[in-house]
Amino acid sequence: MVAPPDNDVLWARSLTYSHNGSPALDGVSLGVREGEILAVYGPRGSGKTTLLRCLSGQLVPQEGEVWFNDSPVHTMSAVVRERLRRDRFSWIDPAPALVPELSAWENAALPLLLRGAPHRVAKTAAMEWLDRLDIGDCARKRPYALLQAQRQRIAVARALVTTPAVLFADEPTAPLHRTDRAQVIRTLTTAARTHNITVVLATLDEEVAALADRTVPLVDGRRVSSLGPSEAEGQAACSLSV
Amino acid sequence: MLALRLGRGARPLALLRRLLVVAASAGVGFLLLCTLGWAMKHPVGSLPRLLWCLIPLAATVQLAVAVARTDPGTRPRTGLSAVGLGPARLTTLAATSTAVSCTLGSVVALLCFLRLRSDLTGTLFAGQAADLLARNQPLPLAAVLTLLALVPTFATAATGLVMRRHTRRTARPAESTDPAPAPTGLPWGVALTTAGLAIETYASRGGGGSTPPLPGRFDGSSAGVLAGWSLTAVGLALAGPGITYLCGRLLQTVRPGAIRLLAGRTLMAEAHGIGRPLGVLCAVLSGVFAANSLYGPRDEPPFGPLTGLGAALVIGCTAATLLTAALETRQARVPTTTTLHHLGAHAGLLRTAAAVRATAILAIFAPLTWMVAALAAVPLTT
Repeated sequence: MVAPPDNDVLWARSLTYSHNGSPALDGVSLGVREGEILAVYGPRGSGKTTLLRCLSGQLVPQEGEVWFNDSPVHTMSAVVRERLRRDRFSWIDPAPALVPELSAWENAALPLLLRGAPHRVAKTAAMEWLDRLDIGDCARKRPYALLQAQRQRIAVARALVTTPAVLFADEPTAPLHRTDRAQVIRTLTTAARTHNITVVLATLDEEVAALADRTVPLVDGRRVSSLGPSEAEGQAACSLSV
Repeated sequence: MLALRLGRGARPLALLRRLLVVAASAGVGFLLLCTLGWAMKHPVGSLPRLLWCLIPLAATVQLAVAVARTDPGTRPRTGLSAVGLGPARLTTLAATSTAVSCTLGSVVALLCFLRLRSDLTGTLFAGQAADLLARNQPLPLAAVLTLLALVPTFATAATGLVMRRHTRRTARPAESTDPAPAPTGLPWGVALTTAGLAIETYASRGGGGSTPPLPGRFDGSSAGVLAGWSLTAVGLALAGPGITYLCGRLLQTVRPGAIRLLAGRTLMAEAHGIGRPLGVLCAVLSGVFAANSLYGPRDEPPFGPLTGLGAALVIGCTAATLLTAALETRQARVPTTTTLHHLGAHAGLLRTAAAVRATAILAIFAPLTWMVAALAAVPLTT
């Protein structure tokens, strides 16, 4: 077992994973430095989501190692990984995935409430983040009464409210139009830089990847040096005739 | 055929629910056939017996609809609409499965009835109960078929009507669908319940203290008492969703933490789904308690074997309906539960929230049931 480099907050070596036999990751290694924004960039089906889920401890890789701050994530028990996710990580899905029965601020405050924070503290923190993300005036509305872009910003606020050590964002701008997309990604990166939050961002959008400090291109579950235009757009030459 | 294929691939729990519908339908079919047998011997005064059968019939139809709603094969799934399994087809599918289960139950009932009739030594059903089988007379075929078709027809029609609304509503993700408005039936429910209790008290005072009859012995004087009882039951069923909503609302007031917040809001959102079966179960149980305090102390039971079967059917069906409705709301909450798991909510917290919900419901509905039962029994026993 090789000790990870000192300046990496998150570090993975030759991760291999297959979903019930369908290969997803094939020997991916990477290191994430503290406070940086790392984009995992690749077309659909290239294993971005699986890589993020392995890094965040939701999945245990079949081969390879994941280290977070000198502790091995791949050998932890399910309960310890759950606690790690709750206390140190946060996650943004492609869809907002809000709890429909709770109002906007309650959704944003939910991670704090789940950690046992007092009601008042959780509310203040959630309202602050909603104001920063420019949706303070929808705080009392339920998710059904909001626009998709507003819902996604609530999901971002929910991920930031605990000021996590590492924020995993799996295509956070997928359901949005371009203007909303730019705003969401800008607020996310600004918040991460001002609060020194490490961000691992999966994306298939070249513009989004360009905002990151570093980019890890991924194709068919392998890390490549760079993405060719045909791979990025999924237009590889097809020799089959049907 | 598709209904059969989907049924064959279903999980054991789904098949067990279908089996419950078959059993309930068989029970009601048997009751109806026995009523027919009795009516052939005693043509006068057999209508009340037939009317008594409506209560188990209604409970069975309610169970069949609840089971059809939870059936995994008939839930709207993204993508299947594109291959032609849209809301309309799913409704047909659900109605077909219900029709098949209920018809199967009716056939079982017919076979049981015929088996008992052919048992000439009469060891199984002896004495007074032998009247129910009408052994020495030929059965009128048309009457038998009509009675056996009752459960399948009503259950299929009700399933079709309910599923048509249900499949349309659940085809969209929960986040972007408008939530159901707060239940408004509470005032009506309370009014009907109190009116029912008042009518019952008034009628029993006029009736000279005669206890209301169970199926074996019916006389017209206690019709008022029965009307009062049914009005109370309808009132409780109407008030159920409102009471559940109120329960959830109380649970999440005054600076709730995660558990109270999740439990209360879930209860408020589920009020429509589980409130009605809860109200019905509450009404049935209070009826049972009241009947027990009226007829319990005597040495000889004032009713035949069929009253027991009918009561067991009604209680079993309403309890099973409530459990099925709870299961349906749990299925509908799967995406939310996944989200909560992603946020790091451990399984223990979600279980605690569910336990808090169940305790809150029990704390409200148990005293309510007892109170209604006591109030219903007071004018009859004194």
